[in-house]
Amino acid sequence: MATTVAPELLTAQSRPTETTTTIHRQTLARAIRAEWIKLRTLRSTWIGMGAVVLVLVGFGAISAAVSTGSVTSPDDGGGPFDGGGPLSIVLAGADFAVLLVGVLGAMAGAREYGSRMISATIAAVPRRWQIIVAKAVALAAVVLPAALIGVLGAYGVGMGILSAGDGATVGLTDDGVLRSVLGMAGYVTAIALVGLGLGMLLRSAASSIGALVAGVLLLPALAAGLLPASFDSLLQYLPSSAASAFTTVEGAGDSVLAAGAGAFVLAAWVAATLGAAVLAITRRDA
Amino acid sequence: MIELQQLSKRYGDKLAVDAIDSTIRPGRVTGFLGPNGAGKSTTMRMIVGLDRPTAGSALVNGRPYVGAPAPLAEVGALLDAKGVDANRSARNHLLALGATVGIGARRVDEVLASVGLTEVAHQSAGSFSLGMGQRLGIAAALLADPGVLILDEPVNGLDLDGIQWIRTLLTELADEGRTVLLSSHLMSEMQLVADHLLIIGQGRILADTSMASFIEQSGGTGVVVVASPEAAALAPLLAGDGVTLTSREAGRFEVRGLAAHAIGDIAAGHGLTLHELAPVAASLESAYLELTHDSVEYSGGARHDLHPALNDLERAA
Repeated sequence: MATTVAPELLTAQSRPTETTTTIHRQTLARAIRAEWIKLRTLRSTWIGMGAVVLVLVGFGAISAAVSTGSVTSPDDGGGPFDGGGPLSIVLAGADFAVLLVGVLGAMAGAREYGSRMISATIAAVPRRWQIIVAKAVALAAVVLPAALIGVLGAYGVGMGILSAGDGATVGLTDDGVLRSVLGMAGYVTAIALVGLGLGMLLRSAASSIGALVAGVLLLPALAAGLLPASFDSLLQYLPSSAASAFTTVEGAGDSVLAAGAGAFVLAAWVAATLGAAVLAITRRDA
Repeated sequence: MIELQQLSKRYGDKLAVDAIDSTIRPGRVTGFLGPNGAGKSTTMRMIVGLDRPTAGSALVNGRPYVGAPAPLAEVGALLDAKGVDANRSARNHLLALGATVGIGARRVDEVLASVGLTEVAHQSAGSFSLGMGQRLGIAAALLADPGVLILDEPVNGLDLDGIQWIRTLLTELADEGRTVLLSSHLMSEMQLVADHLLIIGQGRILADTSMASFIEQSGGTGVVVVASPEAAALAPLLAGDGVTLTSREAGRFEVRGLAAHAIGDIAAGHGLTLHELAPVAASLESAYLELTHDSVEYSGGARHDLHPALNDLERAA
C-alpha cells in the first residue's frame, strides 16, 4: 500500500541531528528493553499468548467434562482426554500448549533473519550475546505469565468441573500438586526458549519449527517405541521426559528422573540451545 | 572518521575486499562507488561489525565499532531499507532501536517529523513504499545523533522531492563536521553531493581522491562547445596534437583537448568572431566509466594499458 506523504512534511521541520534526548551507554538492560518493545509491539505475540491460555484452559475443561461423563467422546475412549489422575486430566492441553509455544519461540528467533532486520539489531547491539539473552528474557517475560495463567486456570476450571461431576479431585496443597502445576508452566516456558534458541541457530522459521517438533514431540515417542528398554536410561534425558519428572504427580513409568534432576536437565537443554545460538550469532557474519 | 587498514574479506575462493586502506574523513561527503559486486556493501558491513574481516581492521573514531559504548550514537547506518519487521509500526521500530541507547518517544517523534513520516508513524513498516522505507532507514540512522553516517543507496526509490531533501541533508550533516559515507549508482546525484570519492573495483581501491581532481585527472579537460560564423576558418587553427574536433551542425563544433581560454585566444589572434564558447564540465559518470573500464582491462592482465590517472591513483592507494 502506497501512502502519500504531504509535501510540507518533506521539508525538514526540526533539524534531524539536533538531539533533545541524552544518549546513554548500550547495556544489557537496554538491550532487554529493546527486545521487550519489539515483542510487545507485534500483535502476533498477544494472539499467541491468548492461544496458549485458551488451549490450556479449554482442553483442561473439555478433558474434565469428558472424564465425568457429562460430555461423551465420539469413540468412547482413546484420544487425548483419556485416563490418568485428576491433575493430568485438567492439564490435558499441556502437550498442545508446549507445541504452540515452541513454534512461537522458533518464529520469534527466526523472525529477524526472515525480515533481515537482524542487521539493524546487531548494529545497535554489536556485543551479540546480549541479543540472545535479551530475546530470551523478553520471551520468558511474556510466556511465563501466560503459562501460569493457563495452568492455574486449567486447574481451577478443570477441578471445578470434576468436583461438579463427582469426579476425583486433588488440591493445590496436596503432595506434589502445586509443584506439578507450576512445573508445567516452567516446562512450557522452557520449550519456548528452546524454540527461540533453535530459531536463532537455524535462522529459518520452517527448519527450526521442524527441529523443535522432531526433538520435543516425535523423537521421544519414536525412540521409546523403537529402541530397546536398555536405552530408557538415556531417553529420560530428553526434554519432554525430563519435564515429566516434575510435571506429574503420579510416576510416569520407569526410568524417570527425580523432580529436581528433571528440572535441572530441562534447564540444561535450554542453556545448551541458547548457548549454541550465542556461539552461532557471535561467529557468523550477520 | 573511519579508518580502513588492510581490510580484507574472503568468501571461499573469492576475495571480495582485498586489503584496502583508506581514511574516510569528517566534514565532507565521501562517495563510495564501484560496480556491483565490487565489495562496497561488504566494506560497509565490516565497518559496523556485521561481517567479520578476514584480515585487517575497520576503525570508527579510532576503535572497532564493536567496542563503542553507545553504538547507535557512534555510527548511523542505512544498509538495507527493507530490513525491518513488516508487522511493526515505523514508530515502534524506532522506539525499539532507540531503547538500546536510552532514546525515548520524544526523540523518535522528532526524527520521524524530520524525515516526513509523522503521518504514517503508526502504519506497519511492511506497508511502506521503497521511498518511505528509505526515509525510515534514514530516521533510524539519525536517531542517536551519530558522528558517522554510512548510507548504502539511500536515494533508491525516493521521489524528486526526496532526492533533493537527502541531498540537502547530507550536505548539512557533513558541514556539521560529521563523517558521511554514501554509496549510490546515480552518478549525477553523487556528483552533486559528494566532495570526495572512494572507488573500488574487484575489492581493490581504484581511486581515493577529491571529486574535482578525479574528474579532472580521468576526464581530461572536458569539452568546449564553440559556435562561430567562421567555423570553417577557425577549426584548422585549433587542430593539433591531442585535440579532437567534432561537429554535428554547421557553425558549431565541440573541442576536446583544448581549454576554453586557449580557444578564445586563438580566435582573437586571428580576428575570428565567436558566438559561443562554452566549457562543458566533464561528468563524474564519464570519468567513472573510463576508470572502471580500465579496471576490467586490468583484471584481464593488461596492466600496461592502464589509464595514466589510474596509475597515479594506484600509487596513492
